[in-house]
Amino acid sequence: MIEVRGLVKRFGPVEVLRGVNLNVGEGEVATLIGPSGGGKSTFLRCLNGLEEFQGGSVTIGGLGLDVHQRPADRERVARAIRQRVGMVFQTFNLFPHQTVLQNLIEAPVQVLGLPRGEAEERARTLLDRVGMLHRLDAYPRQLSGGQQQRVAIARALAMEPRVMLFDEPTSALDPRMTAEVLSVIADLAGGGGWTMVIATHAMSFARRVSDVIHVFDAGRIVESGSPHQIFEEPGHEATRGLLAEVHAA
Amino acid sequence: MEANADASESDAFRPLLLAACLLPLLLVAGLGRPARADALEDVRARKVLRYGSDMEGGGPYAFPDPRSPRGAAGFEVEMMALLADELGVTAEFSQGQWDQLLSVLDSGRIDVVVNGYEWTSARLRDHLATRPYYVYQLQLMGRKGGSATRWADLSRPRPDGRRWTVGVLVGSAADAFAHERAGETIEVVRFDGVTDAMLAVQNGQYDFTLQDLPAVLFYRERYPGLELVGPPESRGYYVIYARKEASALRDALDEALGRLIASGELRRIYEKYGLWNEAQEELAEISGPIEPVSGRRELWGWELLRRYAPRLGDAAVVTLGLSFASMPLAMALGLLIAVGRLYGPAPIRAPLAAYVELIRGTPLMLQLFVLFYVLRLPPWVAGIAGLAINYSAYEAEIFRAGFQAVPRGQMEAALALGMPRGLALRRVIAPQAVRIVIPPVANDFISLFKDTSVCSVITLVELTKQYSILANSTGGVVEFAAATAVLYLLMSVPLSWFSRWAERQADAGFPKGGATA
Repeated sequence: MIEVRGLVKRFGPVEVLRGVNLNVGEGEVATLIGPSGGGKSTFLRCLNGLEEFQGGSVTIGGLGLDVHQRPADRERVARAIRQRVGMVFQTFNLFPHQTVLQNLIEAPVQVLGLPRGEAEERARTLLDRVGMLHRLDAYPRQLSGGQQQRVAIARALAMEPRVMLFDEPTSALDPRMTAEVLSVIADLAGGGGWTMVIATHAMSFARRVSDVIHVFDAGRIVESGSPHQIFEEPGHEATRGLLAEVHAA
Repeated sequence: MEANADASESDAFRPLLLAACLLPLLLVAGLGRPARADALEDVRARKVLRYGSDMEGGGPYAFPDPRSPRGAAGFEVEMMALLADELGVTAEFSQGQWDQLLSVLDSGRIDVVVNGYEWTSARLRDHLATRPYYVYQLQLMGRKGGSATRWADLSRPRPDGRRWTVGVLVGSAADAFAHERAGETIEVVRFDGVTDAMLAVQNGQYDFTLQDLPAVLFYRERYPGLELVGPPESRGYYVIYARKEASALRDALDEALGRLIASGELRRIYEKYGLWNEAQEELAEISGPIEPVSGRRELWGWELLRRYAPRLGDAAVVTLGLSFASMPLAMALGLLIAVGRLYGPAPIRAPLAAYVELIRGTPLMLQLFVLFYVLRLPPWVAGIAGLAINYSAYEAEIFRAGFQAVPRGQMEAALALGMPRGLALRRVIAPQAVRIVIPPVANDFISLFKDTSVCSVITLVELTKQYSILANSTGGVVEFAAATAVLYLLMSVPLSWFSRWAERQADAGFPKGGATA
């Protein structure tokens, strides 16, 4: 489903990604763990074209981004990818001038051309799934962080993507709200059907939901494996350090 | 009407009320006007006679000296040098806007006004005049080969059925002369400068200009496209004006003038400038100041305002029209520029940035001049376009700041949902930016609203200009200043209310927003 080859990303002189290779199969739940600044977020943002990269290629569902494309072509492909790939941000990024319902039907109506009634129907189903149906008419600022993130997840799902990217979805939340959001994501992961790539610091969550865990360190994937391998038999020094920190905390 | 006027004048309350309302204004006016027992003594003590004049009005009265451009030349400049000499002092030129010179005189910053100021009864209500120093006539000018041969021809309709347009210097005798005769066949267009009117007629923007003969004689060669139409009309006197209490100064100047006329020195100046004609023989026959026909102001307070209310009303409509036509254009233009600068391709960003700097960095008045005199747009078009262009630069910067104030994550979230950039801008970024920019844009609207007064330089008589015209011609400075201020407030305060209302409407998260559409 997702195939990344030799991805290189630089911010000025700083090399954030130094040749990342990664495959994610159809329906697979992959988590990216690693220290802050290890390149997880940047990597996710390269997948759906929010970030340009300087080397390598990304292929998602047959659509390819690489460094040789002209800007117009690149933008066209990125848009096609984004319609199949949903993304959930660390800071939710709900549209503050729209209600919960309006947030959910905006893209389906404007981008997919869905009839309004159908879009609302879909929105209600999804809001029910994330437990937010009762706040249909609320504005984002009237919701807690956890509630906002659950709405943001439903908003991404409303485009019926085949792939979901989660960029540290609980880093801006307190423990109680973190738990409610993680349970929603775990529910989606368990429900099957979606290919998911999740950047997270929540280790026990990663252990619980992942098919594969990739450890990022200093712009590279230093180790990949099943949760059991990573947590019980960590092969790389960076992984061991990461786990030690978690145990200490 | 008579009885009414008497009744309201005898009513002691109304003037009192008016005075109470105007107290701050009067205080300010009073501060600038220290009690001066004897202006002549002052002049002698400081050994300088300060006279107010406007070089913009130009030749042959007073204009920048071609030989020493910082100094002034002109027949009045030379005459004042001689007059000051007679008083044993030196003359000092003081620049002021022509139609405001009497107000400058009242403020005490100058001693007399000398600038082709005609003798009129209205001006004598509040000021003293010397004996005439020049007998002027009014001369009609038109484009070469025009159909009219004299002023009287203008009472016949224009061939195309529209009215003849006649440019005049605002507040001048020509203004009064033309205004009295305006009507079904003549439309008076008021200019701030003599040459502006000549240029506009030569450009073909208007049919004629009616000017004092000296100005015509001086400038006719500079406008080869114009010719004199018919013989001079009317006849009047240029006099020197002094403050009401400065009778000693006036008398001294009067005597000095008499000596210059008798000795032929004044004639020599006029001959040098080609201004001497037989009409000037009359100067020697008038031995002193001409008494006003009626020294009393006929109307005061409410009566005065009531009489001229329609003119103020018309002017207020011009002000509103200019504002409401230009601001939406400025906002639309500003929005396009802001979006272009923020999200457009590099080749259009630089020109847009240059446009903003150029427009912000040059005065509105200059932009209006270019649109009106160079591009020769009709005054309304030039006024609206000028204001719209000028303010578009400011709105562009406000919008740019507004767009930039929307968090980056909003655009990313919209893009991540598959929206094209344009759609994301329109549906997600712009609505949030609008909320941010409402207060500064409303602020600019009020500012533009007041800036419409600059449009008087391209002949649009809006509120401020109308105030100036009425205050000068009737002497009702305080009444019209107050009325004009009230009108501006009546129009601008609702703008503030509207902006606050719009802010509330646009405030994100308002409790009962139309959620389920």
